[in-house]
Amino acid sequence: MARTPAPDWVPPSIDMTVPSVARIYDCLLGGSHNFAVDRETAASLERFEPHARAAARLQRAFMGRVVRYQVSQGVRQFLDIGSGIPTVGNVHEIAHQVDPSCRVVYVDFDPVAVAHSELMLRNTPGTGVVQADLRDPDAVLGSTAVRRLLDFSQPVGLLFMLVLHWIPGETRALADLLGHYRDPLAPGSHLALSHITRDGQEGRVDGVADVMRESRSADRFTARGYDEIITLFGEFELVEPGLVGCARWRPDGPGAVTEIPSINEYGYGGLARKP
Amino acid sequence: MSTPGRHPEEPALVPENRQRRTLARKLAYLLAGTNYVPLPHEQFEAALTEVVDELCAAALAEPPQPERAALAGARLVELNCTSDKSLSSTMDVLVQGLLALPELRPVERFAEPVVRVVGALATGYVSAAQRETLEQQQGMHASLLKAVRDAKYNLRSAQARFDEVATSSASGILVTELDGTVVQANGAIAAILGHPPAELTGRNLFDLVHQDYAPVLREDYQAVLDGRTERIKQSQRLVQQNGDPVQVSITASLLRGTDEEPSHFVTVVENDTELVLLQNELSRQALHDVLTGLPNRQYFTTQLETALHQADPHYGLTLLHLDLDAYPAVRDGLGEQVGQQLLVLVAQRLRTSLSGEKAVVARFDGAEFALLLENTPTTPLPASLVHTLRQELAEPAYVGEHGLPASASIGVVHRPPRDREPRELLRDAHLALRRAKAAGPGQWELAHPEQIRRDRELDALAATMPGAFENGAVEANYRPLTRLADGAVHGVEVLLRWNHAELGPLPDERCRELAEVSGLMLPLGEWLLRTGCQQTGWWRRQLGRDLLLTISVTPHQAADSDLVSRVLDVVEETAFPPGRLLVALPSLALTTDLGEARGNLAGLADVGVRTAIRDFGLGSAELAAVVDLPVDAVWLDRALTGRAKLPDSPVTEALRLLPGLVHRAGAEVIVDGLTTADDAGFWLAAAADLGMGALVGRPGRADELAATFGDPRWRS
Ligand SMILES: C[S@@+](CC[C@H](N)C(=O)[O-])C[C@H]1O[C@@H](n2cnc3c(N)ncnc32)[C@H](O)[C@@H]1O
Repeated sequence: MARTPAPDWVPPSIDMTVPSVARIYDCLLGGSHNFAVDRETAASLERFEPHARAAARLQRAFMGRVVRYQVSQGVRQFLDIGSGIPTVGNVHEIAHQVDPSCRVVYVDFDPVAVAHSELMLRNTPGTGVVQADLRDPDAVLGSTAVRRLLDFSQPVGLLFMLVLHWIPGETRALADLLGHYRDPLAPGSHLALSHITRDGQEGRVDGVADVMRESRSADRFTARGYDEIITLFGEFELVEPGLVGCARWRPDGPGAVTEIPSINEYGYGGLARKP
Repeated sequence: MSTPGRHPEEPALVPENRQRRTLARKLAYLLAGTNYVPLPHEQFEAALTEVVDELCAAALAEPPQPERAALAGARLVELNCTSDKSLSSTMDVLVQGLLALPELRPVERFAEPVVRVVGALATGYVSAAQRETLEQQQGMHASLLKAVRDAKYNLRSAQARFDEVATSSASGILVTELDGTVVQANGAIAAILGHPPAELTGRNLFDLVHQDYAPVLREDYQAVLDGRTERIKQSQRLVQQNGDPVQVSITASLLRGTDEEPSHFVTVVENDTELVLLQNELSRQALHDVLTGLPNRQYFTTQLETALHQADPHYGLTLLHLDLDAYPAVRDGLGEQVGQQLLVLVAQRLRTSLSGEKAVVARFDGAEFALLLENTPTTPLPASLVHTLRQELAEPAYVGEHGLPASASIGVVHRPPRDREPRELLRDAHLALRRAKAAGPGQWELAHPEQIRRDRELDALAATMPGAFENGAVEANYRPLTRLADGAVHGVEVLLRWNHAELGPLPDERCRELAEVSGLMLPLGEWLLRTGCQQTGWWRRQLGRDLLLTISVTPHQAADSDLVSRVLDVVEETAFPPGRLLVALPSLALTTDLGEARGNLAGLADVGVRTAIRDFGLGSAELAAVVDLPVDAVWLDRALTGRAKLPDSPVTEALRLLPGLVHRAGAEVIVDGLTTADDAGFWLAAAADLGMGALVGRPGRADELAATFGDPRWRS
């Protein structure tokens, strides 16, 4: 039968017929760094959450504000974990607009996202890319790029944007894991995170989890509540206005909020500072 | 990653003014609400003020300068304003806003330049957006390729895995000592160099390289060994056994032993021509269905979009949506694999049958295919197109020892208006397909705008039917059934009629269709049966004749698990003799055993009610049903009754033989749709038993029947 096999030396971790979180998100943000299967999964997500694109846009805008704020507080180095496919408005671009000497290390475990970041950043000084699973903090913190680019005696901006709901399991264990990242940081460092929540929208968020389960992706979606998410900041002190619906975190213009209240509260976002 | 900051541009030709800023602000508000803009909002407003200034300058120039506006369009793309509606809403705001600016007054003078300039902006926008999409997709493929390669470097821990990769790899792999001596070579590198693999071991890697390049390459390997670089990636020229050079890409890195000490180099060699092939293959895969190699829905949709614009406006295009009827049965009965093979075969047939046309064949989900034709003067019209496809598919498909049915239901969109969106067209085709499927397997339907309207009307009409029924606007009609041999009235069929205030009387078939849609059919059907039993019971007594009452049920009723008890209740309540009631179930419900259809038929027979199969055709499944089920009569499909008129046709011949076969199974034959005496003659000769149709008597209310027969005893 006239079957075209995938080139037989494509490793199993790189399977174009399995949707990837990074590429689905890119698709929702309007990018073209994605394959058919990702677009199909994005379309199924949109059936459950017709405003998925608006939600993605809002999350990305939140990241922009949170990075800009940290730069204004003197942070000059960033560790962006679960960085995804670089589209527009990446951390280094935002930071470099203010100060081109900022250093940024991107971490993701998706091989294609990492390869893409490497290609894109080839000629951008002060940036680096690490392929690692965030559940292995030693691999992340001990990577060449982190050691080469980040100075842990100075404040670091640690970012976990829209990634922690992809880590299933007890929140307590997740908080411990984040502790490994927080501990080595210098005072004045920041931890920013955004996390999709089930609060007030169980049914709709469960639909998203179902779509992922039904797709061939191995990634599992775990939405958490306010009380759980807030524990992830540990001893860091939350910056005003605290942990809030992302749209309500220091909005700076029409791109920060939508007219759809549920989307404004779709995920929590917060930034905390190490005392 | 482009950084959309301010352009280091010449200062705007026209000084900034407040009204332009207001316009830019309005636009910024609009775009920021639907796009992710990677700038703080005030910077975004500033960027759009520049865009507005550019447009003004372009419109004010003498003559206008659309090129500048095109650049402004590209700038919007750079600012990531590429969501669905961004362009059209931008154009709306700009045309209005620009013409309201004092410098672009009077409108009569500037309307034309403004429209031209905004049009140029749109063109610039579209081509920039396309370029960007293309660049992103190409970038994605490069990343994929890189990820694949990088994954191959991560070999250092598992030698076993390495062997596995090496032997199966399409890229050449050489493992060398640190001095370049080859210790292992796989088949692919041997093929690239034209050597048997065994002959490569023991040779030196640097001798395989064109001698001009060898010294430099040696240095590069040394740099890796010293840790100055992690790996080598470069184009190289190797020398084949026959002395010919071959252009390759090599990537090399260190293998370390368990002690983390460098032990070997691993060098991956890719034939550059193969690399190009792979890249093509990857982009092909993203757009194609892996099983059949046909374009997928995604790709098809973009093709459709292009075709809509390109197709000859006079001949337009034709879109077909096709679903293999038997696929679920094949898959469930013979397994996934046979099902897949069937799909592959069908894909091939579809492709060959359209090979003379400018056509795209795509596979959608499951057993659905889509065909797109850019029509030419010689493209067949839908009817003959469908005919060709059906013939191509009618040949049983042989998969292993199974001859599988490949008939398909088809929805067709023919020459749609050019401004219809691809998505809408696909929906139209799908709707038509659904209608075709509802008509039974192997059918096709044309999507006409008026047909789509009709579907909507049907829905609206169906919604008002329950009310009409309450108000008594739905009534029972009767038509006679005669014995062909002597023309005597043998019984009546009870039918529905809806006297619609605006549309006039709606006949039985239409009423059933509507009642099925609205879910009214079950109660309505029961009411019809009760009314029929009461009326016919009255006639039986009045006339002193042993009249038969026949009633048809819809597929929905046939599948209803309460059918038998509903019928029994009515028969008891009205004291109608069950043996004089004939209930006809649609053949499709029986042959596909929809819900409880077969069980219902047997149940009715058990309680002494007579049963019939209606819409009876020439299929073997139907004949089998007559033999297997307790059936008293078959009710011929009206369409077939007409076919009997054609002399010398094989269908006519088969029909002539049909009553004999049915009789052998112990059932009678009812022929519907008799219109002429000739019809009656043919069927009498063929030994059919009972007849109905215009020739015998049209449907009417109970009292109208009395007039038909000129016998007052028929009055209600
Ligand atoms: C939705 S994207 C977020 C992209 C980006 N941070 C943003 O907010 O725009 C989530 C990313 O997290 C990555 N990811 C998920 N689980 C991960 C893990 N265990 N380790 C590292 N990255 C992970 C995915 O590959 C994906 O690229």
